[in-house]
Amino acid sequence: MTAAIVVDKLIKRYGNLEAVAGISFSVPKGSIFGLLGRNGAGKTTTLECCIGLKEPTSGSVRVLGLDPSRRGELARLRRLVGVQLQTVSLPEKASISEMLELNAAYYSIPTRVLEMVNRVGLEGKLDRQVAQMSGGEQQRLALALALQPDPDVLFLDEPSAGMDAFGRRILWSEIERLRDAGKTVVLTTHYIEEAARLCDCICVIQRGKIVAQDTPPNLVARYGGEARVCITAEGFSPDEELQRLGTWVNTNGEWQLVTRGEPGLALASVVTRANALGAKISSLDLHRPELEDAFIAITGETIGDAA
Amino acid sequence: MFFVQTKMNFLWYFKRDGEMVFWTLAMPVFFLILFSFAFAQGPSATVAGFLVPGIIGAQVLSSGFWGVGVMLATFREKHLLRRIYLTPIPPWVFFSSLVAYRMTLLAAQAIILIGVGALVFHVKITGNPLEIVAVLLIGTATFVSLGTIIGALARTTESANNVASVLTVPLAFLSDAYVPIDRFPHAVSSTLHLLPSTQFIDMFRSVSVYGNPLSHYLPWVGILLAWTVLGTLISARTFRWV
Repeated sequence: MTAAIVVDKLIKRYGNLEAVAGISFSVPKGSIFGLLGRNGAGKTTTLECCIGLKEPTSGSVRVLGLDPSRRGELARLRRLVGVQLQTVSLPEKASISEMLELNAAYYSIPTRVLEMVNRVGLEGKLDRQVAQMSGGEQQRLALALALQPDPDVLFLDEPSAGMDAFGRRILWSEIERLRDAGKTVVLTTHYIEEAARLCDCICVIQRGKIVAQDTPPNLVARYGGEARVCITAEGFSPDEELQRLGTWVNTNGEWQLVTRGEPGLALASVVTRANALGAKISSLDLHRPELEDAFIAITGETIGDAA
Repeated sequence: MFFVQTKMNFLWYFKRDGEMVFWTLAMPVFFLILFSFAFAQGPSATVAGFLVPGIIGAQVLSSGFWGVGVMLATFREKHLLRRIYLTPIPPWVFFSSLVAYRMTLLAAQAIILIGVGALVFHVKITGNPLEIVAVLLIGTATFVSLGTIIGALARTTESANNVASVLTVPLAFLSDAYVPIDRFPHAVSSTLHLLPSTQFIDMFRSVSVYGNPLSHYLPWVGILLAWTVLGTLISARTFRWV
């Protein structure tokens, strides 16, 4: 597969602060690529170097073979790339249809106002002005503006921040639709569920560096740890047979089994054995490791103020 | 692209902003009436004939400093500039549509002031209309290009606002716009004549109300054009989208 984006040893310094400290990755065409990390990890700066808003201190960025830090190449890139910035910055008195009309004029493309508002769930609100719209609606309008020129590469900086469940569903289905059409999507997020659900590949960024990079299932398998079976039951304690399933720990009356094998099978054995022992089960859970567990293991931190 | 952007500028920043409509269209007339009565205790064609071009000239100054300079700083602070930077609109198209929008407002202000001056104060505009328009265009070019420096260098809207007020208000009084500077000691008034704003307003008044030919003022035209080139160069060098 050919790469849509190649970032090589990217470094961006602000005075003494190294916001991006040597990041390299490549994004295959037709895939969804996620930059995952806490606020201030360097995700936005990396993305801004890809769209020509910031110039790298050193290292190189190529988007569709073009260098966004060179004026002439950036001019060509602008027609191929769509961007949704972190801060939705739209003129307060502009209406939805006017924004779409002006944006279409910028790209010299047909306006397609109705199609665009339908895609982002803003139908029937054509004359609504930005100042009268909710944060989520403004985000969806910004998404419509990014999608309107039908870009080959879409960059989204924290696209779901401030969006409600409805907005997120629309956002996610539009992102998947683009990928299905062979387009490339790069998004930054600190919303783990979003990264897990959408991304073909995730780059975990911490303090300006990539600390892990893989598909979500591989990240979970490698860093997420073992699955656990948790059982609270009167008259239950792991006997020799149950010990063979894995390691048992008791915390506050709850028994936790860290299992090496398939956790579903372990769960079945635990239940069978508990019944045979005549134990009275009051709670029973199966925890499979998730991307969040992998993230914590990789960074030693929680994602923090998740959206 | 240019026309759609200009139309939107007009809709978003003027038509839907009641305060803006008032300040732009009513305030200059209010100034004309207030100053006329303050200086002449009654309608006087001489006083109003001094004030009409003076107020129009002061509006040209504030168009450049506020209308373009501060506006650009506001656009940057609100992250509107970076959005525009990411689209294929050429910077000069975006910029010239902002200037076109301001010039439309200036034309409306000039027509209203000249109309009120003629009807209420019997001020006669005797100059060659083409030369009058030419002087206005030269002045607008000068002060838009100087105003853009404010927009380029100011880090925040607030600092742009401060710089624009410090420039516009004193300049309006020192540049022969509201009060005749020939009442100052000769040394002061001849120094003030070195200001591009004084040269522009005096030239505009002379060509429009006193009906003098523009060819009398070719050195000043040259100086104003030099300021325009200088302002444009500095703005283009220092302008930041982000």
